[in-house]
Amino acid sequence: MTLSVSGLSAVRSGRTILHPTSLEIPLQIRIGLVGSSGSGKSTLGHALIDDLRAQGHTVAHVPQSPDEALDPLRSMAFHWREAETALGLPPGSADQAGLFGALKIEGGDLSKRPWGWSRGMQQRFVIAMALIGNPDLIVLDEPTSALDPVVAAATMELLSAFLTGKDTAMILITHDLGLAARRVERLMVMDAGRLVETGRTEDILERPKTRAANALSTHRNWMVLPC
Amino acid sequence: MLKVTDLAVKRGSRVTLESITLSLPAGETLAVVGESGAGKSTLIAAILGLLKPAEGEITWNGKPARAARPALVMQEPRAAFNPALNLRRSVMEPIVAQGVALAAGRLERLCAGLEMPLDLLDRRPDQVSIGQAQRAGILRALIAAPPLVLFDEPLSALDAVTQKHTARLISELQAEEGFAALIVTHDLGYAVAHGDQIMVLKAGRVEETADANTFALTPQSPYCRTLRDAAISLGALEAAA
Amino acid sequence: MIKAIGALLLRAAVVLLGTAILTFALLWNAPGDPAQTIAMARFDALLTDDVIDQIRDEVGLNTNFWHAFRAWLGPLLRFDFGYSAVTGRPVWPDLWTAMTYTFPLALAGLASGLALSLPLAILATKRPGGLLDRTSVAIASLGAAIPAYWLGLLLILLLAVQLGWLPAMGARTPAHAILPAVTLGLGVAASLTRIIRSGILEARGQPFLPAIRRRGVDGRAVARDHIAPHAAIPVVTVFGLELAFLLEGAVLIEVIFGRPGLGTFLVQAILSRDFPHVQAVVVLTALVFVVVNLAIDIIYRAIDPRIGTEDA
Repeated sequence: MTLSVSGLSAVRSGRTILHPTSLEIPLQIRIGLVGSSGSGKSTLGHALIDDLRAQGHTVAHVPQSPDEALDPLRSMAFHWREAETALGLPPGSADQAGLFGALKIEGGDLSKRPWGWSRGMQQRFVIAMALIGNPDLIVLDEPTSALDPVVAAATMELLSAFLTGKDTAMILITHDLGLAARRVERLMVMDAGRLVETGRTEDILERPKTRAANALSTHRNWMVLPC
Repeated sequence: MLKVTDLAVKRGSRVTLESITLSLPAGETLAVVGESGAGKSTLIAAILGLLKPAEGEITWNGKPARAARPALVMQEPRAAFNPALNLRRSVMEPIVAQGVALAAGRLERLCAGLEMPLDLLDRRPDQVSIGQAQRAGILRALIAAPPLVLFDEPLSALDAVTQKHTARLISELQAEEGFAALIVTHDLGYAVAHGDQIMVLKAGRVEETADANTFALTPQSPYCRTLRDAAISLGALEAAA
Repeated sequence: MIKAIGALLLRAAVVLLGTAILTFALLWNAPGDPAQTIAMARFDALLTDDVIDQIRDEVGLNTNFWHAFRAWLGPLLRFDFGYSAVTGRPVWPDLWTAMTYTFPLALAGLASGLALSLPLAILATKRPGGLLDRTSVAIASLGAAIPAYWLGLLLILLLAVQLGWLPAMGARTPAHAILPAVTLGLGVAASLTRIIRSGILEARGQPFLPAIRRRGVDGRAVARDHIAPHAAIPVVTVFGLELAFLLEGAVLIEVIFGRPGLGTFLVQAILSRDFPHVQAVVVLTALVFVVVNLAIDIIYRAIDPRIGTEDA
């Protein structure tokens, strides 16, 4: 099965921020949606989620920071139950122990509110919540930029390990090609509201065709350490 | 030369910095790396004289550091500006506040160095891109020719490509102007690429101080190796195949 | 949490003690000779110095301040308000009777205020800046600007005198309570509408809401589980202030509508210099305030436990 969307576009206050875009997402694939800030990555991500949902697919979304995902007045248990209910599952039916184990948040106290957890734990909880019910696709929008590097790296590592062998496809939205390159097999490069280049990760890293892809590839890391 | 000797800062009964010693010669860059809560911003506040040290002293060429009027570049470029003023007014604030004369052609030279067209200064902070706003913040910090500039997470609001561009412009201006730069960052990649020395803070203490290349290749403590490996895992640093 | 409530209780006790000292000191130092005024109220005639001295002795006006204060505070701690200086009857039964008129009136005012403001605020926030919104804000602002006694008179004129729908004066039947309660309620509604409206608008701007909607939670559940609790925080905050408005309003309204109650009780006590009565009302009012604010603080912590902790 392949997820496919066509003719996605978006206009905000008279300006086209996403030109008509079509794409196909095979199962199990991990794709990086990369581009500079303002290139329309998040807009495409949102449009994609809405369209696939309308087609009846299950698509989960993880925003940049846990502050954008969790209500500080509600307990973690409440959020979990709410997510289950929203998917039409009876409360308590999701494999909470399995997901918490995979993301290493077994120790978290669910009766606490989000701010009773560390930020890294909160973000992993949000990812675990997104994975309830094995969605067809999980879209992560800059999932690590609000975290400290050590926590961010561990979170990406755990997520990659969890997704290996699962049917769930992943789209990683980021401005940082260096981050995406280590996690995805395909890249989609955006520039000024258009998808300008798609291809295998190695190809775009080594032989970028467009100006945008070239800039991202050239500046994908701060330096190369001689070993 | 900035000298911090045995600095300790307390907030209430909590110790937020302890036994911090560092020296930063003119023209060089010290990158202070650490996780949130490690005390990076506290260190900046102490150097600026906003926090009174419980112990130790902070001097610039033997005199109290705040007398040298260190400049600050803040993390959130837009929030660092008065939204009602155009950038030119804000950028000129240090000149007005310190009552110094602006050398002929200095503004133009700095703008050229920061790749900022002069007419950009007639806009308000919300009318420029976030990268341009951050460069205007750097311009404001440098305009009165301070001997010491403190950068508090100067790139964290920028995208990966703009980060590298801005970092290069800062280094080029530093070579021209000769200021000492203390850069606080959580990004080890930025620190090793643009710092002369690296100082890692952990829970308010110095975990390790080393020159940048040595640090990147052979971090000594297990914590610093974890930091380096995380930077590699996130793609900030790349290990040659 | 337990520790925080302990601290709140301690604070409440300090406030109460302070109020007691302040009330007593103010009355003690009030101009004029209270003994003479009491004598006038009691016997309705000018009296000889002997009788006035006797009254002074009886009411405890001839000792020093601290002695008198202790003599008053001691029994007060056992909820004994002493005896009226004018009638000589115990204060408590009369005070209780007054309370049974005023508290239901204040509650009815609060309830009608909420019943008016909540739907109005929700309606107004359907389309912020729309005609409905601007109209309701205008009505609320107008309502807040109109003094309660004027509104009360206006309502009496319209509904009791002109239309004859409702009784105006006295407190014989429950129907007598409708006009005073509505008068109070309109004042409450005026300020609550604006608070609830801005509470809802601010709650709607919370950064996590888009993600929760995107998770598939339907709009009704989002409003109930996420917007309402955030909107409730400012509303709970102003409840203490609303209470002040209610008690102050009740005093005026009772006098206008000729109802018995704490207001009438207080006005009579002041006019006749009945110190024990005045002190009893002030202490009771302070107690109600402290208890309500204590309850608000606790509710607050239940809604948002960040309040009063280091995370806040």
